[in-house]
Amino acid sequence: MDDQLASRIEVKALTLSYGNDVVLDALSLPIPKGQITVLAGPNGCGKSTLLRAIRRLHAPQSGQVLLDAEDISKLNGKALGRKIGLLAQSPSAPQDMTVEELVRLGRYPHQAMLQPWSPGDDAAVAAAMAGTGVDTMKHRRIGSLSGGQLQRAWIAMVLAQETDTICLDEPVNHLDMAHQLDCLELVTKLNKEQGRTIVLVLHDLNLAARYADQLVFVAGGKVRERGAPEAMMRADLIAEVFSVNAEIITDPVHQRPICIPHRRA
Amino acid sequence: MTDIALSPRRSIARPSATVLAVAAVFVLLFLAGIGFGSTWIPLETVANVLLGGGEKTEKLVVLQLRLPRVLAAALAGGAIAYAGYLLQRITRNELASPGVLGVVDGAALGVVLFLAIFSGASNSLTVSIAWQPLAAAIGAVAAISLVFILSGRQASSAIRLLLFGIAVAAVCKALTTIFMLIGPIYQASQAARWLAGAVNTINWTEIQLMLAVLIPVGIIAGFAARHLPPADLDDISSRSIGLNLPVYRIFIFFLAALLTAGAVAFAGGVSFIGLMAPHLARLLVGRARAAGIVVSILLGAIILVGADLLIRVALAPLEVPAGTVTAVIGAPYFLYLLVRKDKTNG
Repeated sequence: MDDQLASRIEVKALTLSYGNDVVLDALSLPIPKGQITVLAGPNGCGKSTLLRAIRRLHAPQSGQVLLDAEDISKLNGKALGRKIGLLAQSPSAPQDMTVEELVRLGRYPHQAMLQPWSPGDDAAVAAAMAGTGVDTMKHRRIGSLSGGQLQRAWIAMVLAQETDTICLDEPVNHLDMAHQLDCLELVTKLNKEQGRTIVLVLHDLNLAARYADQLVFVAGGKVRERGAPEAMMRADLIAEVFSVNAEIITDPVHQRPICIPHRRA
Repeated sequence: MTDIALSPRRSIARPSATVLAVAAVFVLLFLAGIGFGSTWIPLETVANVLLGGGEKTEKLVVLQLRLPRVLAAALAGGAIAYAGYLLQRITRNELASPGVLGVVDGAALGVVLFLAIFSGASNSLTVSIAWQPLAAAIGAVAAISLVFILSGRQASSAIRLLLFGIAVAAVCKALTTIFMLIGPIYQASQAARWLAGAVNTINWTEIQLMLAVLIPVGIIAGFAARHLPPADLDDISSRSIGLNLPVYRIFIFFLAALLTAGAVAFAGGVSFIGLMAPHLARLLVGRARAAGIVVSILLGAIILVGADLLIRVALAPLEVPAGTVTAVIGAPYFLYLLVRKDKTNG
């Protein structure tokens, strides 16, 4: 469907294994520029590994990841850190670090020996904190924040990197419903207002269908199918990928498909 | 040095005032350490001689007899504290210190083996005692290398490295004890002196060797420390902002081992300074990096110079190794940290 759109990232026949476990099996996936791509799939299907491989945190056995048609294995760590931001699944920082200290770390890939902290760095940090609403708590310590605040502080750190592409690994995992919506609305805003390319791993299919431009089902280390949420949310496909018999209805408010699981298939 | 300036300007008390205060205490203690002895030399005379003035006899006493000992204590204490700072920061654990990496115990084993191998039938050494620091350095480097070899691919994990360090330290300690028990009397007492950490016999040649090791390593560590703030994050987060944390961590461990080896090879198994000084520094200046390093080094020097001075004042003419004092202060401090950590962890 969107292959005519320019791809920001092109995953090509990526194979990655831990010992004898093949996690990604010659997986290929285009990630269109300026869109929200959501990776979904059962536990252990390889979606988090795929996300980390896109940021070159795992070295593949074969295949490649192209970023704007350039092989990412040719880029150094800091150069890649200026192009792709990644928020880990359960990131950790010292409890007594302040929010501002954390967000400033997002400028690390922009720093160099002969390139000290600049007004541009200050501006990026300020914009990242304002955009996530953590500017009012910038002197607070990480350890004193609630789950929702902490997640926003981490997103601000990734934003301060000023990357065109942002990957988030299950960003709403430990958040309550209100904060899940806050977080995903924030991500959508970054996408719509600033045109950033977003890649998300989400477990909740209904949230995935609501926010995705491209929904990708990963199973057994391969892309099972990908497309617009309306095309992907089919009872037969969900039964096959997630082993759940479900009914699909349309959300009366957002006109997006919703899946109601009945029982294990 | 260009500062990456990733640590923010603190809104709490400016660390520079604290740094100056600690530096002042260090200078006073350093002068007092030289001034105190069989005859008291006033502090202004000591300062005068150090700045190039003074009479011939004053110069002889200050520069040849007293300065080496105090300088060695300052260098060793500072270097061990620096190593402790790096380790506590890179492991994000305030209980980390050079002692737990096996470096100190490895050096001890090196010394005891040296004394055992080169003892003659008449219970005296067949080579010069001046080789002892080299034996300590070899032991220290061998121990840390063993830790890395055993850790293998897991060497990038801080906790694994510490666990292997503790294991290697325990084996070295056990072997040291065995060699002391089966060795000749002279060897046992000489080894015991070194193990306890003594700076009283140090001469200028040894100081020069210490400086030759510690200054380059210290400067390299200073440059490497610029990447400590991103290293505060977990592996995935730090790698995604462009720092290869697993590799960087091994590099910092290696630098810390070299700093410790350079110090204990000459000053002996001084204990707990690497634990106490960086921890106190953190209480004084918070997370600020440059101030943290400087204050750690100064506090480490203060503790060892102070310990050496204390035993000379309180126990003269008996020469007790300075390391016994740091151990007497340090062990309860360690226990206090353990108890406090349990409380904060709920």
